[in-house]
Amino acid sequence: MKVAYWPGCVSRGFTPELHGSMALVAPLLDIELVELDRASCCGAGVIAEHNQELADTLNARTFALAQQVEGADMMMNICSTCQGAQSECQERLDANTEYRDHVNETLAAEGLTYDRGIANKHFLWLMVEEIGLEAIAAMVTQPLTGLRVGPFYGCYIVRPTDRLGIDRAHPRDSYLHQLIETLGGTVADYAGQYKCCGFPIITMNQEASLKQAGRHLGDALDADADCLVTPCPLCHLNLDLQQPLAEKVVGRPLGMPVLHLPQMVGLALGLEPKQLGLNKHVVKPTSVIDWSTSVVAGVPHAA
Amino acid sequence: MPAHDVLIIGAGLAGQRAALAAAEAGASVAIMSKVHPVRSHSNAAAGGINAALNPDDSWESHAFDTVKGSDYLGDQDAIEIMCREAPGEVLWLEHRGVTFHRNGEGKLGTRAFGGASAARTYYVADITGQALLHVLYEQLMKAHAQVDRYEEWFVTALVQDDEGDCCGAVARNIRDGSMGLFAAKAVIQASGGAGQCFKPTTNALICTGDGIAQSFRVGAPLMDMEMIQYHPTTLAGNGILITEGARGEGAHLYNAEGERFMEKYAPNKMELASRDVVSRSEQTEINEGRGFPDGTVALDITKVPRKRTLEALREIVNIGRDFAGVDITREPIHIKPGCHYIMGGVKTDIWGATNIPGLYAAGEVACVSVHGGNRLGANSLLDTLIFGRRSGEHAAQRAAGMAMPQPSEAALANERQMIDRIIAREAGGRRISEIKDELGEMMNEKCAVFRTQEGLTEARSTIRRLMEEASVAAIDDRGTVFNQDVLGAIELGYMLEVAECIVMGALERKESRGAQFRLDYPQRDDGAWLKHINLSPNGGEGPRISYSPVTMTQWEPQERTY
Amino acid sequence: MADYILRLRRYSPETGDAPYWEDFQVDLDGHRSVLDGILQAKDRTDASIGIRCSCRAAICGSCGVRINGKPRLACHMHLDKAVEDAPDGVISVEPMGNMPVIKDLIVDMDAVHWKKIQRVTPWLLPDGPDPEQEHIVAPESMIDVTQTMACIQCGACVSDCLSMEVDPLFIGPAALAKAYRFVGDPRDGQRYERLKDLSEDPHGIYDCTHCFNCIEACPKGVAPMSQIMRLRRIAGSDHEIDDRNNGHRHEKAFVKNIERNGLLHEADLLPDSYGGKFHPRAIPVLTSSLPVVLAALMRGKVTPKKALLHQHKASDDVKRIYKHVHDKEKRYELNLYVAGEEEDAGDEAGEAVQASAAGSQLPEERSPNT
Repeated sequence: MKVAYWPGCVSRGFTPELHGSMALVAPLLDIELVELDRASCCGAGVIAEHNQELADTLNARTFALAQQVEGADMMMNICSTCQGAQSECQERLDANTEYRDHVNETLAAEGLTYDRGIANKHFLWLMVEEIGLEAIAAMVTQPLTGLRVGPFYGCYIVRPTDRLGIDRAHPRDSYLHQLIETLGGTVADYAGQYKCCGFPIITMNQEASLKQAGRHLGDALDADADCLVTPCPLCHLNLDLQQPLAEKVVGRPLGMPVLHLPQMVGLALGLEPKQLGLNKHVVKPTSVIDWSTSVVAGVPHAA
Repeated sequence: MPAHDVLIIGAGLAGQRAALAAAEAGASVAIMSKVHPVRSHSNAAAGGINAALNPDDSWESHAFDTVKGSDYLGDQDAIEIMCREAPGEVLWLEHRGVTFHRNGEGKLGTRAFGGASAARTYYVADITGQALLHVLYEQLMKAHAQVDRYEEWFVTALVQDDEGDCCGAVARNIRDGSMGLFAAKAVIQASGGAGQCFKPTTNALICTGDGIAQSFRVGAPLMDMEMIQYHPTTLAGNGILITEGARGEGAHLYNAEGERFMEKYAPNKMELASRDVVSRSEQTEINEGRGFPDGTVALDITKVPRKRTLEALREIVNIGRDFAGVDITREPIHIKPGCHYIMGGVKTDIWGATNIPGLYAAGEVACVSVHGGNRLGANSLLDTLIFGRRSGEHAAQRAAGMAMPQPSEAALANERQMIDRIIAREAGGRRISEIKDELGEMMNEKCAVFRTQEGLTEARSTIRRLMEEASVAAIDDRGTVFNQDVLGAIELGYMLEVAECIVMGALERKESRGAQFRLDYPQRDDGAWLKHINLSPNGGEGPRISYSPVTMTQWEPQERTY
Repeated sequence: MADYILRLRRYSPETGDAPYWEDFQVDLDGHRSVLDGILQAKDRTDASIGIRCSCRAAICGSCGVRINGKPRLACHMHLDKAVEDAPDGVISVEPMGNMPVIKDLIVDMDAVHWKKIQRVTPWLLPDGPDPEQEHIVAPESMIDVTQTMACIQCGACVSDCLSMEVDPLFIGPAALAKAYRFVGDPRDGQRYERLKDLSEDPHGIYDCTHCFNCIEACPKGVAPMSQIMRLRRIAGSDHEIDDRNNGHRHEKAFVKNIERNGLLHEADLLPDSYGGKFHPRAIPVLTSSLPVVLAALMRGKVTPKKALLHQHKASDDVKRIYKHVHDKEKRYELNLYVAGEEEDAGDEAGEAVQASAAGSQLPEERSPNT
């Protein structure tokens, strides 16, 4: 399938391994990525906090650019925060014709217009709903046998449930669970899996921010998870990049590697850890897990 | 011992309003409630509050509608006061911050409501009661230096001195089970109605007639107890209320044959006739076989434009979906009459004073009477505020001129023993909930929209039997922290006493007027029965009956048609 | 009638025992509520079960509990839906979170919820003496504050507030939604003072971790987190309140970052949130972040070039949009709770809007997991 691909900002900034691993995994899943290189940041909820119309207009522009991609089946993103922030803007744009027309007036100068009802799906949803877990299972060459993976859903991709289309027919808040098992891994349920990584308040209340990250990492450790997987690079920043500081705040060593979603998929589809940028993490998954046997080697974390 | 000028029991609209008025008048105030004040049942009042604020309207018109609505049993001096003071009260509320709906000019806006000749109902979406209650609570929090709040304290008895004046109350701290004796120069009962005597009812679980029974026990007469309002639109089974506002916005009633039957009973006002008329019409249709199998008729709100429904009737959109599985914007919803309000209660004068010095009553617990035989929609909120304020002011005035009484410790000891006896009950008694259910179902059958001599007589003897059973009913919880079981046993006692008074009043009134309809006396009989029926305690025998006249100022009784 | 198993969390402070689970079998129609089930268990089996309840119709706010781990009103959840959400067919009911438990399902709301409500001065502070008649206010403003007026103080949002979980002093969603009820009311004369107070408080409006739990929990569509964002917006943009918590600075820095770069340049965002790379406020943070930065550099996650130079530049189109919106005198804000649903909206989208706008919390097919 062909998608209008929105990679977000952080995947091209401080988590380049996300962008890179997505680029490697897409062809394996028969996804043609047409990158929306003219689109701007989704606002991460912060621009909307400042001015809703600004966020709505910037995202309407991104949607309009996506709608211009010839032959694209839909728009795809790789960041929970983008999914959440964009869904909020889309909800307003789709709900009210007068408002949408008003925003489209602003876009008109660029020759763009947003048509109501774009399908914008996170890579996670796309895999389950468009490709199908059965098809993915058939592509697995290196099952994650024995690997206990803790899903970290976070916030923006699971709440509020009605805005994100989560219902019994689309139990999107269990897709990580299903995917981990499809890839041959074992789900390690733990207390913090639907809680907040703390990223939004890292500058306003660093202690509360890192306490959240630290606790959830600790919960995963207590549940014997070998690693976490997250669909959001902002969560990744607070859980991985900030893990050394988080350890100090919660007062316990953690050493919990955090995988990006495409990295986990790529490993199961036979790609090498280094290809997937696993060595770029602050908490190197390659130090903690012996990927050559896909079995936990129990190597202690090297800071 | 806590001692205050004014002790208010019940923190719904009447109680909170009384507290604010008394505090403003300089009194020291305590307000006590068995639930957190914002849980009070006032918050269920959806539709609005009546006031003749519009320059094209007049308080006399409002008063006449109320008198007629009461089927001429209302005391016209009290009604005049309520209607005359209503506009000022609504403005007072607005000044305190109530978020009333506005018209295009930014002024207070109205909606149509039952029994009214002009649109005079002021509202906040369909959460008017909640909005008023929460704003009053905001003001109580603001006045925390003058008003002591005793939240989750359960009053078990009023206390009288040797002269019989009311001088305080005994209450139990629900949280830890400790009992306290509270002294007060004036006590205001504002503890609401008694809908739980009926099953089903729109009323909350807390509406168990506590204040009616407590006041009765110290000798304050009850008045017009037979007048129980059946609200026309309640959900079958759980009794949840569908606000009159739906009919105000244009909804229609249909029987199972698709007839808009109100045409037969109230050709002018149709669905907006007064509540007793509509309830009787529905019950007649149901009794005569033109209802649905579940004993209901249909309320069709699809007649109202969808956008307006979502704007002004959002709560019932939610109620329809959440409690009946129906989208009211797309299909009719099945409803039937359900017990909703008690017009009767503790007899008071126009200042809320009972004939027990020091004891006042305001709100649904009281009977002034402004509602007589039937209450108009949106008049209850008004009643609570006007008489809440007046009783608060008068109580403060009384307090200013007197010394603090010293209620006897014996009262506290008595109540402690009462609780101990309940806790010490032997096993093997009937379960409280069973007794309560039997009471409620029986009242709903024999003391409801249509009544007969035999039915009421059977009701009375059933109640007597249930009182026996209640005195030894089973207790599971013998602890002290949040013992809701013991409170349930006490409430059951209140409900049975109140139910007996309701039945006695209904038996005594041998006519049909307002909400009381006797199949054996189907006509209104002004000659014999244009008077109030009072009930006073009479040892253990059940109430003693007396009468008092209806005060008439301007309006002679007429035939009541809609 | 069907059988359901309710697993209730029991706790009695008098026995000295730890809390425990107790199962009760109830026999009711599926459309009856979990509260009905608990009351049946109480009526028939064990009248010592402690639960606050009153109206049974989701108005009084008494019966807030956690059903299958999620904060709800017990009267507002059907048994047949609750059992579908329960992994082993057993409906678990426990007390709300973030508040001390008094007994069974009863929590001490005074200790947490009401304390925080009182913190925000929850009464109208009018501007000047009362007018003769009513204050004249635009109808939209009254409809707007009806959203926060709809709060029934049930505590469901407080129960699951994730900021409060790590920072118990956080003022919290219920209280801050209540604060908006006044900030948004044209009759209140202390808007600036309220906003300044709540912005400067380190546990105030900038302590919200933006997790949406409160929006999800609320049975009345109050959307507390959205109200907190409105408070931030009004405090920052309308009153230029530059709080000591860096909340407004962070927001400004982010917004400017995108205006300049089109995409987020993270390396600038951190110091700019504190006032700039060389600002005294930024220095301790930058210093303490040095190990993090070094680790990132060592891993090759970030190159010095990438960190220091701006890789992207915002297109003229993006800059134009910024200018167009910022040049407006008044913000254009669409609140779906107020705007409601379009009559010609297609059914699917219409229902999605209605679900959020009408504040209903019982969409037919709710997913069990979050």
